Amino acid sequence: METLAPKIIFWVFTGLMLGSALVVVLGTNLVRAAFALLATFFSVAAFYAMLGADFLAGVQILVYVGGILTLFLFGVMLTNRIYGLELETATFQLGSGALVSLTVFAVLVTVVLTTPWSQTALVEEGPTTPAIGRLLMTEYVLPFEIASVLLLVALLGAAMLVRRRIDL
Amino acid sequence: MERLDTVSSLQYFVPEIVLVFSLMAVLFCDLISKNRSQSERRLVIVIPTLIGLVVALFYAFAGAGEVSAGLFNNMVALDGFGNVLRILFIASSIFVLLFTVHSKELKSVHHGELLVLLLTVTVSLIWMANSINLMMIYLALETVSIASYVMVGYLKTDRFSNEASLKYIIFGAVSSGTMLFGMSLLFGLTGSLDLYEIRAALSNQEIVASSGPALMVIIVLILAGIGFKMATVPFHFWCPDVYTGAPTPVTAFLSVGPKVAGFAVLVRFFYGGLSEPAGGHNWAMVGSVDWQTILMVVAVLTMSLGNIAALTQTNVKRLLAYSSIAHAGYIMMGAAVLTGEGIQAMVAYMVVYLFMNLGAFLVVIIVHNEIGSFEVKDYAGIWRRAPMLTLVMGVFLFSLMGIPPFAGFLAKWYVFSAVIKAGLGWFAVVGGVNSAIGAFYYLQILKTMFVDGDETPSPAKPLILQPIYAGLLFVLVVPNIIGLLLWGYLDRVAQYSQRLLDVI
Repeated sequence: METLAPKIIFWVFTGLMLGSALVVVLGTNLVRAAFALLATFFSVAAFYAMLGADFLAGVQILVYVGGILTLFLFGVMLTNRIYGLELETATFQLGSGALVSLTVFAVLVTVVLTTPWSQTALVEEGPTTPAIGRLLMTEYVLPFEIASVLLLVALLGAAMLVRRRIDL
Repeated sequence: MERLDTVSSLQYFVPEIVLVFSLMAVLFCDLISKNRSQSERRLVIVIPTLIGLVVALFYAFAGAGEVSAGLFNNMVALDGFGNVLRILFIASSIFVLLFTVHSKELKSVHHGELLVLLLTVTVSLIWMANSINLMMIYLALETVSIASYVMVGYLKTDRFSNEASLKYIIFGAVSSGTMLFGMSLLFGLTGSLDLYEIRAALSNQEIVASSGPALMVIIVLILAGIGFKMATVPFHFWCPDVYTGAPTPVTAFLSVGPKVAGFAVLVRFFYGGLSEPAGGHNWAMVGSVDWQTILMVVAVLTMSLGNIAALTQTNVKRLLAYSSIAHAGYIMMGAAVLTGEGIQAMVAYMVVYLFMNLGAFLVVIIVHNEIGSFEVKDYAGIWRRAPMLTLVMGVFLFSLMGIPPFAGFLAKWYVFSAVIKAGLGWFAVVGGVNSAIGAFYYLQILKTMFVDGDETPSPAKPLILQPIYAGLLFVLVVPNIIGLLLWGYLDRVAQYSQRLLDVI
């Protein structure tokens, strides 16, 4: 019973993730696709939680579900005439597209199944947040600072691009 | 290899710190000068940028010592290779900063953000070229990319600039996502982000025996990200459109900075993570994938396609874009031979390439300021209006061709001799044939400038040359002319740059 429960949870979330991802890719309604994306992001967070990465799971929900997706939905809803919009691709090369993606899929599956991946035992630890915070301030302090430069420049670029010409 | 902690690393990190502080200072100066007239305001932002870059350049020269170490707990490398590239990036940014001053394309827009972006790209190029940790490589590469997307689209009212920026973002997002996937597989295989630990893990015989397909996939995926920055075939599609649409000073910058940094990441990744020193300046691949052949194939395809596609171009910026793809192929030859001479040849080529390519772009900017066109056919008769400028352009183009008295010859000689010394004669032959093809389209521009246009009756009005541009042309053209005299100096730089982290 103890070993069965995680497996059931895993498959439930796998199904949810793949199903909602298919809706995102194949659906033609933008609003529905955005809501399906919510389920995808949420299932990914569930995977993180199952792997013992509690902080990562929280960040996934906060940033992707809470931040990016909400903004995305705002964008969709504030845009005019979005409801009647049918998404279409002008060129839809089913044959060659299927060939390429099936090849890539086959290669990746083979690689995943045949490679001796470096594995560490799953340890049942407490919260990971203190350890992450400590690492960010010691061993990974340079990437942490570079990330702040990255965010500064992204902010600056976005502000510059949306500003009206008259303010220049 | 010495591993330094954060506090003891700071003393080797002065140029980067200076650059970060000056980008914040420029942002601040831009804000406080809001109510001044446009020309005053431009001065208020250009001067701190210039000071920041010059101070950083000074410290970069002062910091080019004998020490090799992994800074910040093996996040970035401090070695001869990185020190040379650091100087190269800062120098190219100084040139590009001065290019923007009188550019007609950028006349109608405010320069504040552009200069902040320029400083940001400069400092992240340095990080990118020196990263020895997969996470650092990704972060630095992404900072370079995001800042350059905005720089390319800086002319908001120009349709081509917008289009170029959009294409750049889409290609950039796809390729960096691809690279990230490759990195995650590599982490899964080796359990480490540190390139030198990855090398150690890949030397393990058990892993080598069974990881062939995985390593192949990883190399292809990561090469997609690096190849996008280097603009090598088959990841070059963005290059002509972006180079044509971007403001010309930005194009000049893109054709040198990110490209050179891409090659630096290539060296760090393949020489640091996937091969080990085998004595006598040779390197041996670790793992079970023959990536040397992949790099050679990419080099041959890149230079052939670049040169052949350049033949039919009618727009100067587009032509120079294809020419820069071809030059990426020549630089790649140096990377593919797996010897210390190969790395020397790459760095020597990059140094010379900076002078000849920035020079050619400066002439394009000057001519565009005057005639308002980038079409080769509109260059007809420039000789009568600006004889000196035409001669200078001639020097840059002959240098790009690799004709003997000029510096470009020296660069090609380095690459070809490194290739021949490694016993790959056919590879050098391919390079030679390509140089011959390349000469054709460079000569086409020169022919138009010198010969054509004599039949037009319009009076030959002399072309206006701003003093700053005249000075820059002088600084760029002299090393090209006296290239052969600088041989000894270039050789010393190349010898020094061969010192990667774990090789003295």
